[in-house]
Amino acid sequence: MSNAKERKHAKKMRNQPTNVTLSSGFVADRSGKHYNGGGKPFQAQKQEPHSGTSRQRQIKMTPRSLAEPDTNEQSSSKLMFKKKGGWKAGPDGTSQEIPKYITAATFAQARAAEISAMLKAVTQKSSNSLVFQTLPRHMRRRAMSHNVKRLPRRLQEMAQKEAEKAVHQKKEHSKNKCHKARRCHINRTQEFNRRQKKNIWLETHIWHAKRFHMVKRWGYCLGERPTVKSHRACYRAMTNRCLLQDLSYYCCLELKGKEEEILKALSQLCSADAGLTFAAVHCLSGKRQGSLMLYRANKYPREMLGPATFIWKSEGTPGSTSENRQLWIWLHPTLKQDILEEIKTVCQCLEPVRSAVSIPSPPPTLSQEKSQTEMTDEKIGKKRKRKDDKEDPNPVKKIIGDGTRDARQPYSWMSANTGIIISDLSLEMNRFRLIGPLSHSILTDVLKAASVHTGEEDIEETPHHWWIGACRNAASVALHRRQEAIFELLGGITSPAEIPAGTILGLTVGDPRINLPQKRSKALSNPEKCQDNEQVRQLLLEGVPVECAHSFIWNPVICESVTENKISDQDLNRMRSELLVPGSQLVLGPRESRIPVLLIQQPGRVTGEDRLGWGSGWDVILPKGWGMAFWIPFIYRGARVGGLKEALVHSQYKRAPSIPGDFPDCPAGVLFAEEQAKNLLEKYKRRPPAKRPNYIKLGTVAPFWCPWEQLTQEWESRVCAQGKPSVDSSPSGEESNLRRQESPKAPAPSAKAGTAVDNPTEPEVMDTECQDQPGMKRVTDRGAPGNHAVLTRSQLCVLRSRKLLKQLSAWCEPCAKDRRAARWAPRQGQHELTGEACLALTDRFPRALVWVSLSLLRKGSPEPHTMICVPAEEDLLRLRQDRQYCGPQEPRHSDPFKSMIMKQKEKKKVEKRQNRGRAAPEGPAAGLPEARQEALTQGLWPGALPAVTTHCSRGLLGYVTQGDFSMAVGSGEALGFVSVTGLLHVLSSQPAAERGLVLLRPPASPQYRFARIAIEV
Amino acid sequence: MVRFKHRYLLCELVSDDPRSRLTLDDRVLGNLVRDTIARVHGTFGAAACSIGFAVRYLNVYTGIVLLRCRKEFYQLVWSALPFITYLENKGHRYPCFFNTVHVGGTIRTCQKFLIQYNRRQLLILLQNCSDEKREAIQKSVTRSCLLEEESGEELSDSGGEEATEVME
Repeated sequence: MSNAKERKHAKKMRNQPTNVTLSSGFVADRSGKHYNGGGKPFQAQKQEPHSGTSRQRQIKMTPRSLAEPDTNEQSSSKLMFKKKGGWKAGPDGTSQEIPKYITAATFAQARAAEISAMLKAVTQKSSNSLVFQTLPRHMRRRAMSHNVKRLPRRLQEMAQKEAEKAVHQKKEHSKNKCHKARRCHINRTQEFNRRQKKNIWLETHIWHAKRFHMVKRWGYCLGERPTVKSHRACYRAMTNRCLLQDLSYYCCLELKGKEEEILKALSQLCSADAGLTFAAVHCLSGKRQGSLMLYRANKYPREMLGPATFIWKSEGTPGSTSENRQLWIWLHPTLKQDILEEIKTVCQCLEPVRSAVSIPSPPPTLSQEKSQTEMTDEKIGKKRKRKDDKEDPNPVKKIIGDGTRDARQPYSWMSANTGIIISDLSLEMNRFRLIGPLSHSILTDVLKAASVHTGEEDIEETPHHWWIGACRNAASVALHRRQEAIFELLGGITSPAEIPAGTILGLTVGDPRINLPQKRSKALSNPEKCQDNEQVRQLLLEGVPVECAHSFIWNPVICESVTENKISDQDLNRMRSELLVPGSQLVLGPRESRIPVLLIQQPGRVTGEDRLGWGSGWDVILPKGWGMAFWIPFIYRGARVGGLKEALVHSQYKRAPSIPGDFPDCPAGVLFAEEQAKNLLEKYKRRPPAKRPNYIKLGTVAPFWCPWEQLTQEWESRVCAQGKPSVDSSPSGEESNLRRQESPKAPAPSAKAGTAVDNPTEPEVMDTECQDQPGMKRVTDRGAPGNHAVLTRSQLCVLRSRKLLKQLSAWCEPCAKDRRAARWAPRQGQHELTGEACLALTDRFPRALVWVSLSLLRKGSPEPHTMICVPAEEDLLRLRQDRQYCGPQEPRHSDPFKSMIMKQKEKKKVEKRQNRGRAAPEGPAAGLPEARQEALTQGLWPGALPAVTTHCSRGLLGYVTQGDFSMAVGSGEALGFVSVTGLLHVLSSQPAAERGLVLLRPPASPQYRFARIAIEV
Repeated sequence: MVRFKHRYLLCELVSDDPRSRLTLDDRVLGNLVRDTIARVHGTFGAAACSIGFAVRYLNVYTGIVLLRCRKEFYQLVWSALPFITYLENKGHRYPCFFNTVHVGGTIRTCQKFLIQYNRRQLLILLQNCSDEKREAIQKSVTRSCLLEEESGEELSDSGGEEATEVME
């Protein structure tokens, strides 16, 4: 019986009389349940109401009456009674005197004792019920529970006591204001401001909070998923209509300075090997948005920092010198801290920009310390940048932008050497993402290009001087007209995917609230509007011209003024109500706000072969403060809103890695994985052992996280052990080139692999003066012992070199017979899958992972942390014989830890019992076994993991990070990482026709399923 | 309501030999009754009565026994009780018989009845007994009556009071 149950039972039985027997004196210890404590003759057994531990303790009722009689037997019983410890005459109890006759006195006393015991049992309430609940039904009255006077008088006193007890248990009433006061605008704003001090709210927070499950993540309050059931509806919106997301939590870093300086600094962070860099021609002109992976300076391909997208401000705009360029880097908030630090280092921007007010700063708090260590070295007195509208002394003002930002913490840095200014523009702008083919029509419906100001007469009453200034300039008016014309053309295009990826279009629009429809409607595309237009064709072919990418949003002064001069909703509604004809169009004339926006095309699915362009859309960047003003019109045009979960689904169907979960080599990804493992473990432990999978028996070593390090290490040593003799074969020329590029950075692995290292001093110039020379510098300035340690620790990397990925991708393809083979022929021609080529690759990246997508052949829907395994020979054989073959099953593993856990539990139980038997001071000793117990959880591997690759019957290749049933394909789809070494090993051992077949097994299932692996570049 | 209904037989164990009380406990008594039922009503009876059968209370000094059995078959138990003539324990046989005092539906009613019954017994005793014992009996009688009044009023105090008595 559990402790609580026992206690409850004890409470119920405390007033009940117990058996009175002669022999109970020595029976007590044996059974100890109902008659412990020596049963004294002539004693009613009673229970003290307070005592919880010894519920059956006897209360001596009759000592006085016992002491008086002077008969023989009485004296004997009296004598026995004097001994405190219970009846010592137990074992030789037969020898005690037994009354031969019934004496009247004893008879009477026994009766009297019994009466008293029974009386106690009958009169005392022993159950958990309240007093009035014990009354018979016909005596119950309404409101008895809180009005004591309703009870019969004999029970009133008891009820009074109970009522008092209940009052104490009740919680304090927390709300100190009445409902009306709380809803009052000033108080509400105050309360909202207080609540967003810890976690930043987006501008659409209130809207989201009413409709979404909110989570606190990355320092923001974000909507995770809608409260309505909408998984499928959101997918349909993405495919056929429009899905809207608020991405304002993405952080923006601004770099200002000379183009060559910025490029020089940033080129250390990225590599042309992994795709385009900051210097890509289209991006540099400001025509397109670029995306890339950032690494620590000169550490490519190791020490990834994270993915980022960037926009250059277009050059050829009026009023800007070509020297001074502006660059925005958009980042996920988890990556911001690392990347900001790294950019600050490479740009040598360590000096915070000073402002008018300078205050000696207090010592930084712990959280800031990490980010500012370098800075404190350089400069002790940090300067404060004044922020007018955010740090307003008047607390009632609504917070726009970042509410948590510390005024003393600088957010802008400049460098004296390079002249680069870095500023952190997080939350200075709103970023909304529209996904789906209807996003065009919604955009063209919502955004109306601002009317050009012509009249001279009413300059005085308008606050929008910047727009009037712009309208005076003929060139900018012409540009505005061109932008407007192109924007109008967009409405005729059926899908955003038709436009070149990353196209940027700047625009100045009027207030979208003015032409808000009366009802929520659905915008429809009208392709016949301008389908057969020459202009449209040109737009599709060439994209938006460079000069049209210009927008006033780049100018912080204009943004500020736009934010400040926004007409509040209240005023707008008042003006609307004062219209002469109710419901007619509101004409504000010059008072209408003009908002500079930036439209960026988001390419959807760009890799792979099927569903190209799926999930493409537009990002809208707005100045802060205007979030809700645009949000509601979008929704009124029929956009469906998604949260973080929908973003994940989007990236999964796009087969793109999601941030930060799918970047195991960057610090944010590692952190994310740890957090996820913790949450999953907690969730797992909440279930009773019988109702959760026993992962040991299923052979799942790590169900909640992916041990990448161990996986790659094991594959490396496995392949090393196999392929040692053939290592000495000379690598191809291209490989040697690559190796040379690598060699200054990684002498340790290549030496370990036992290959002949090419001479690094050979004067061969790659594309990189900035790659070679700092690399050398770093090797020299790092200590020799530290060198090795750093290398070995950070060896895990993800393969992102496009050339190698293309090669791998070609190798993964099964040698096909159809026309696809012809198409891929040239690519395959460049390298056959040979041991030599494999070796060259594995030599360079002994512990690399590669991002793969897996599509299941038949049944099965994978989930995160699904294992990617190597099929055995007989599996492939059976599949060849039977196309319907589902896959092998994992035999059940034995659980050696279960008995250990059971033993521990047993021991704990025994100790507990002993503890209870003994006195209270033994309590602390019980803490010790509990601590030991913590280490073992039933069904999970304790401590260090065994060899992960060989633990199951099929060798482990990698793990799935995202996986689900894909509604886009109609079968299970998964994305994940596999070890490059393992993958090459598997591919080379498989027959050409079945190359790329792997097995997938979810952590909680013994069933393997066949899947085809593909690397999409 | 939704529960198993029971019958409680409040019996008086009458035995000439006081030694029989020595080793008497609820298990012995339960076995005795069970055996008797098996003897009288056969296997069916034994099985029918074995469900829910228990000795809920036993006071050796007064010989009061409270037996519990299911409502459906209490007649079997009841009718078996007169056939107990010997208390057999550890090789000794003591003659005895059961006197059923009350049959109730709850323990509470049995307890209430027992109070009345014992009080009646005490009064009878008081009337019949000789003078030298009268005093002692009177004392116990008054005490039992006093306690009745007391118990309703101060329940928590009685515990402390008794504790002090123990200390003496």
